[in-house]
Amino acid sequence: MVLTGAVRMSVTRHSRRRVLGTAGLNVLGLTVLGMSGCGLLDDEPEPPAAPDPLQPLLDEALALAASYDRAILSQPGLAARLTPLADDHRVHAAELARLIGAVVPSAGASSAPSGPADAAAGTVASLRTAEQAAQKSAVAACKAATPERAGLVGSIAACRATHAEALR
Amino acid sequence: MNPQLGAALAAEEAAIYAYGVIGVRLNSRGDETEARVAEQAHRGRRDYLVARLAAVKASSAPSPAGYELPFPVTDRATALKLAIQIEDGVAQSWRPVLAVTTGNDRGTALAAMTEAAVRATRWRRLAEVTPATLPFPGRPE
Repeated sequence: MVLTGAVRMSVTRHSRRRVLGTAGLNVLGLTVLGMSGCGLLDDEPEPPAAPDPLQPLLDEALALAASYDRAILSQPGLAARLTPLADDHRVHAAELARLIGAVVPSAGASSAPSGPADAAAGTVASLRTAEQAAQKSAVAACKAATPERAGLVGSIAACRATHAEALR
Repeated sequence: MNPQLGAALAAEEAAIYAYGVIGVRLNSRGDETEARVAEQAHRGRRDYLVARLAAVKASSAPSPAGYELPFPVTDRATALKLAIQIEDGVAQSWRPVLAVTTGNDRGTALAAMTEAAVRATRWRRLAEVTPATLPFPGRPE
């Protein structure tokens, strides 16, 4: 009796899957749904979604903010000058994350000081070089952006240019 | 595209007018050079916009005979304040152009917006306004 019951259940499960598959093939609008239902039953992993084209801009904003954090740690006298610029990058990262549905890693993880402290002038000059490079990539991202995103990305590019100016 | 270009043109014309007022209240060679270079840049952008609108056969509103200043410009401090406000406004007028252009035209609009934002930062630094930068230049406040 027990054995028979188990066999019958297994048969039922197969036939149910076949029904789902058939439904997926027969109804045009529901084809995708039926197929993905099969995928879920089979535990097939979904292919990973392609990263948003603005993800590199978000990563760059976080890296810039971390560079400022390191500079401030090694040269506390620069804090008043550099903190607002670091804050701008964090605001950019938060706005981009909201736009593309990404999660911004919590601050502090990447802000540990590394290497010997630079001279203040060296730090400011290297930050300025980094801002100029970041402006270029934001300009490219703005030119490639959809109309809906062009304004935000353009403002980020312009902000990076003003940072380079403020570090002169 | 034309309403956005027309708005940018109106902002550039207002900037040219404002720098005439600003210039007479500045009293150092550095400030005056800054204002002259800025005014020249705005004239260049105005000419570009006039040509662009003519190319698409769009009529633009004639520039007004005069402007009412947002506050009296009586000394260097108020002149710098107006210069900051003018450049912020020009950046804001170019931002909507980004969404209605592509390729080189968008690149030109972004350059115009960025240069206005950079001039606003330079004026803030001369006026000792901190911070000298905005997180989103061109975004209306």
